[in-house]
Amino acid sequence: MIAYTDKIQEIARRLLKDCKVETVIGFRKGSVPMMNEPCFITSADAADGLVWDGNCGINLANYLTNRKEKIAVFAKGCDSRNIANHIIENKIDREQLYIVGVPCQGMIEKRRIRQMAPGEITEATEDGDEIRVKGRDFEEVYNRDEALQKNCAVCVHRNPVIHDEMVADEVEEQTDVDRFADVREIEAMSPEERRVFFRKLLEPCIRCYACRNACPLCYCPTCFVDESQPQWVGKSQNPTDIWTFHFLRAYHCAGRCTDCGACERACPVGINMRLLTKKLNKDAFDQWGWEAGLNLEERPPLDTYRPNDPEEFIK
Amino acid sequence: MGIEPGRLHFSWISSAESTKFAKVAQEVSDKVKALGPNDHFAKKELKVA
Amino acid sequence: MKCIKIDKNEWAGGLEAAASTYRLFGPVKEDEFYEFKALEEGRAPDAAAMAVRNTRTSPRSVVYPQAEVLFEYTTDERDPDAHVMKEPEREEKPRAAIGIRPCDAYSFVLVRNNFESPEYQDVYWLRNYEETTFIGQACHDPCSTCFCTTAGCGPFHEEGLDVLLADAGDHYAAKVLTDKGETFMKAAGWGDEIDFPDEEWEGWKTAAGEKIVSEVPTDRLADIDTLALHDADFWDDVAFSCINCGTCTYLCPTCWCFDIQDENKGREGIRYRCWDSCMFPIFTLHGSGHNPRDAKTQRVRQRFMHKLKYFVDRYEAGIQCVGCGRCVQHCPVNIDIRKVCNLMNSFGETESCSVA
Ligand code: SF4
Ligand code: SF4
Ligand code: SF4
Ligand code: SF4
Repeated sequence: MIAYTDKIQEIARRLLKDCKVETVIGFRKGSVPMMNEPCFITSADAADGLVWDGNCGINLANYLTNRKEKIAVFAKGCDSRNIANHIIENKIDREQLYIVGVPCQGMIEKRRIRQMAPGEITEATEDGDEIRVKGRDFEEVYNRDEALQKNCAVCVHRNPVIHDEMVADEVEEQTDVDRFADVREIEAMSPEERRVFFRKLLEPCIRCYACRNACPLCYCPTCFVDESQPQWVGKSQNPTDIWTFHFLRAYHCAGRCTDCGACERACPVGINMRLLTKKLNKDAFDQWGWEAGLNLEERPPLDTYRPNDPEEFIK
Repeated sequence: MGIEPGRLHFSWISSAESTKFAKVAQEVSDKVKALGPNDHFAKKELKVA
Repeated sequence: MKCIKIDKNEWAGGLEAAASTYRLFGPVKEDEFYEFKALEEGRAPDAAAMAVRNTRTSPRSVVYPQAEVLFEYTTDERDPDAHVMKEPEREEKPRAAIGIRPCDAYSFVLVRNNFESPEYQDVYWLRNYEETTFIGQACHDPCSTCFCTTAGCGPFHEEGLDVLLADAGDHYAAKVLTDKGETFMKAAGWGDEIDFPDEEWEGWKTAAGEKIVSEVPTDRLADIDTLALHDADFWDDVAFSCINCGTCTYLCPTCWCFDIQDENKGREGIRYRCWDSCMFPIFTLHGSGHNPRDAKTQRVRQRFMHKLKYFVDRYEAGIQCVGCGRCVQHCPVNIDIRKVCNLMNSFGETESCSVA
């Protein structure tokens, strides 16, 4: 993926020089190992600062909401689906965007590598299928596949679904992955076990809302947890309030979530709140064969009525 | 989420089906009453942690 | 230099003894990460826990819990205390923070500036702070993101601590700094006084300082014109990636902002305060609907201006940051206070101030 960086810079430079767009949204190199920072550039000279590697897990669709200018954006498979979703939900116009598709081989989960390493990592470089990390007194090489974000490991839409240009040829899609094994495990639990499971899952939450804010779907001007008239949710660490936030947010993502993993990646305390949204993704898939953001033509199931809706849960 | 079975019900009732509505409402409230108070997703005490 | 030698075999036993008079807090493993929180009865932090340099969330909550009830009330006339605002019952035992790192302990010294001034004293914070004994642990091996030495403290910094422990292999060398510290040592039954060679201690301190690879320049901050810095052209670039979450402010030991909330159920009610964050849009939302910090850039600028400029000007106690590096490590989009501090400190020095 390192190979993409040159191409990305070249494309950004060209688009800005030719005045095709006013702004380019991409990533610049981070200040700590295994981190890149989303950034915008407006001049061709600044294109040299753009990078691409396995640390571009932040979903750039999140930076498009309500923007007015003409923008070029680099989009992985999931980003492109969230962009499609944004267009469908009128958060941005298709004409405003020049989408540069980036075929993706999965993003790296920094925490996993940190846990595998024998000490603090001070340098990490990607080299084909390998990730080489260095610390004060060690050097290790890990296989990229072992260190992928959980959602990337089971992703079946690595290639961007809409684009005006591609950075490289399409990558091969994964076909033999079991996408919903984790959800099925939870479905198999008794209600009581599930309650205990979720209680434990959400216990460490500090309500920083990084998960919500990293998510392109969560663009409401005032989130229900922030409303004060009426106040739907208390602001303390009371577990009921924490659950209310998580469960309700997940429902607001039903039929829209692309399982991009930005929420889980952002959480400072390592909560896998994606288990909630994934269950809804699975339901949408099982009921209607729906996966969010695959094209611009089809309306999402929750805003359409079809007479042949299975409706099995209604008596 | 872990809500007990029987606490949540869904039905289609047309605005013309008043007797069905009354019947379903009665059934739902009987079933929920039988389950007792909802202990798990209600804020029972004023506690901040 | 006089030190108390704490044999590591006596560590757990001592803490168990101290637990009869103190409520102990320390680094505790939660799944994969360490948190600084109340130690379960009789569970002393083990060697692995003591080796943790920065717990993920800071020890701020030892003194200043994320949510804390200020008073409770009832309007039930049958209750003799109806309409009286009562403080909730307090735990009797004072607190002790075991193995707190010097930067985190120093953060309370900075934060005190906010909670105690000639005009205002925040009884809740002060009471919690005063009753807490800080048993610190020196850092022999700082992280690459630690920049304490340029943020007013350092790996062997003593200010804000009652005891400073240094790991000496099979034992801890404990430098007792205050009477409070001495009382704690007695409660733990640790009293093996030794003469610790000054050179060795100083040698450790220098070696630890030399391992610090991060720094922030702060020398020009005080002299830079506030409004000019406020209007600097780099803020949009700095703020672009920010998602306005509470990660940086909630993990930070030196952030102090809170919200006050009322909750009631029937005739009972409580008023509590809970952490708030300048990164949240509703933090500054007025009742009128006007929001003076409506845009993301304004909020990001506020965080850095407060920490690195307003605080500097107002208290003359350096920057409102102890260099723990938590925000650097955990910001989901990699906004790095070291970089921003650099930009701010060099503002006006050269013509161009754009981020590299
Ligand atoms: S809920 Fe999480 S996984 Fe789903 S779209 Fe939002 S950030 Fe991505
Ligand atoms: S990011 Fe993590 S800690 Fe923050 S609100 Fe979401 S789940 Fe809670
Ligand atoms: S600087 Fe980083 S941690 Fe802080 S609010 Fe912005 S995105 Fe969140
Ligand atoms: S601003 Fe960042 S580095 Fe400074 S004390 Fe707070 S969390 Fe630590």
